[in-house]
Formats: sequence, C-alpha cells, structure tokens
Amino acid sequence: MAPRDKPHASGAVKGGDLSQRVGVEQIASRGVDVPALVEKLIDAAGAEFTTYYYYTILRMYLAGNEDYKEICEDARLEDRAHFELITPRIYELGGSIPYDIREFADRAGCPDAYLPGTGDGKRPPSQDGTGPTAAAILEVLLEAERCAIRTWSEVCDLTFGKDPRTYDMAARILNEEVEHEAWFIELLSKERDGIVRPSGHFRRGAPGEAPYSKNAGFYNP
Amino acid sequence: MRTVRAAREEHILEAARRAGLDLPSACEIGWDLACACRVLAGDFDNSDARRYFPEDAEAGFALICTAKPRSDLVIRTHQREAMREHRAALGLPAPRGSWGTRQPRATSG
Repeated sequence: MAPRDKPHASGAVKGGDLSQRVGVEQIASRGVDVPALVEKLIDAAGAEFTTYYYYTILRMYLAGNEDYKEICEDARLEDRAHFELITPRIYELGGSIPYDIREFADRAGCPDAYLPGTGDGKRPPSQDGTGPTAAAILEVLLEAERCAIRTWSEVCDLTFGKDPRTYDMAARILNEEVEHEAWFIELLSKERDGIVRPSGHFRRGAPGEAPYSKNAGFYNP
Repeated sequence: MRTVRAAREEHILEAARRAGLDLPSACEIGWDLACACRVLAGDFDNSDARRYFPEDAEAGFALICTAKPRSDLVIRTHQREAMREHRAALGLPAPRGSWGTRQPRATSG
C-alpha cells in the first residue's frame, strides 16, 4: 500500500527521533502553548500538594466535629490524588516538578491553607480555649477549594478541543473541586450562619474515594 | 484609557468588572499575579492580598483583585509578566504560570 494511504504513519517528528514527542507536537499544532501549559500544571500541582499538606493540619483541629473531620479527610486525600494525577502529565509534556520542594511550594498557584490563629504558620495555635474554631477552619478550606476551581477551569479552557488528555485530567479534578466547594459551603453555612445550603451530596463511599480522579487513572498508583 | 469609579472598600477588579472591563484574573485572592497592575499615580491598600510584599508596593505593583483605592488612581493593567520579573529579580516567590490567560476556544467545521 502506498504511504499516502496511511497519512498518520509519519509526520513532523522523524522516525527514531527520541528528542521530540508526537504527543506534544500534535497538541502544539492544534494551538496549545505547551511550555506555558506545563508551567501552569506545575503551579497547579504545587497547589494540590501544599493543600494536601495543610489539610493534614486543619483536620487535626476539627476535633469534636467528627463529621467535618471526615469530610476534610476526603478533600485532603482527593487533593493528593490530584497531585498524583497531574505529575505524570507534566513529565509527558516534557516538564519536571522542581528539584527543591521549597521552590515547589513557593510557586504553588494557590495560597497556603494555614491553620487559623497561627500567624500564617509562624506559631502554634493557642491552647487556652481560644484556638481556631471550626468555622474559621471551614472558611480556609472553602477558599482553598475556590482557588482550585478557578485554576482548573482555566486549564479546561486552555485545553478544550485541543489537548484531550490534559482536558480530561483537568475536568476530572474540577469535578471533585466543585464537590468540595459544595461540601464546605454546606458545612460553613450551617456552622457559622445557621443557614442550610445543601451540597446535594452524601459522604464518600470510602475516605478520599476520588470518584472522578481515581475512577480510571491513567497513572495513579 | 478608561475611567472607573470604585468605592473605598471595594476591590478595584470588582469595580472594573462592574464598569464592563474584562481584565485578567485567576485566583482572585491576591496570590497568583494574574491581575497585576502598575499604579502610576495615587494610593491604594493591598492588605487583603494573600501574598503581597513591601517590595511590590515600593515598585508600584498592585494585585487589583484585592486592592482598594485610597485616592484617585492611574493604573496600567496587564502587568503580570512585569510583576513576576520584579519578584524573580528580588528572589521573592511567585507562581510561574501565565494565569489569567484566556485563549480562544477551538472552533469546529
């Protein structure tokens, strides 16, 4: 059969060339600024990773609010799943996460989710009964999720119709971040304002179930 | 040049939106530099930002998603890259992605 009958058998990347990736060249040819996308993915991965770290602390201070603690744990584990989902894609696109974790945290696309009452992490919380309230912690959790929604909405916009693999990943993460926001609105609204604003959801089947980002992970140990 | 009226306790980005301006933004909590502007004249309060350094103020940069006017202001918008370069030159942290970038969606047909 003549080569012209198999138009995808060759292309801009020459056979045997390991210095380029067709998976990158194809999305670039469809209009994706791949280096710029990689930078955003690294920022976003940094935000998921730092959020996972800070949520580990936040959930410790929800003692006595066991339902909140469980839900915070779901969000924490799902944000870790997001980090696991993003990282392979960064490397597939030719990027790398920073070799220094301090650089990674500094460039995170969303703020550190500090425990309230610690002066942005500079001191332990008070132990005299005036420590962080559940409402203050829920506010931190809510704003962290809102930043994540803005982040992943932008990645969806940048990749829609041009980079289906990154779009699929971003959409899965966005699905879970939207659910997290709904949870924390529900909890904060009742805790702080005494107003019921239902999330429409019930608890996950298992902690950190991540129904979108772990349901068919393309690399998610 | 556009003139926008903002209340004293209103974030400038919010006022700009109300006036119909479509300016870049992403995190909207004063972190990622997407909304960075250069203040050419006037005073502002950026204390609502989650990460904003005295050096940013000295260089005239504002994150308008969390900045409030304290006088009439003259502002140059779309200064994300300049503010990132400023932070990098001083060894101050900042995200590296071009957040707030909007690209046209692919069209079919």
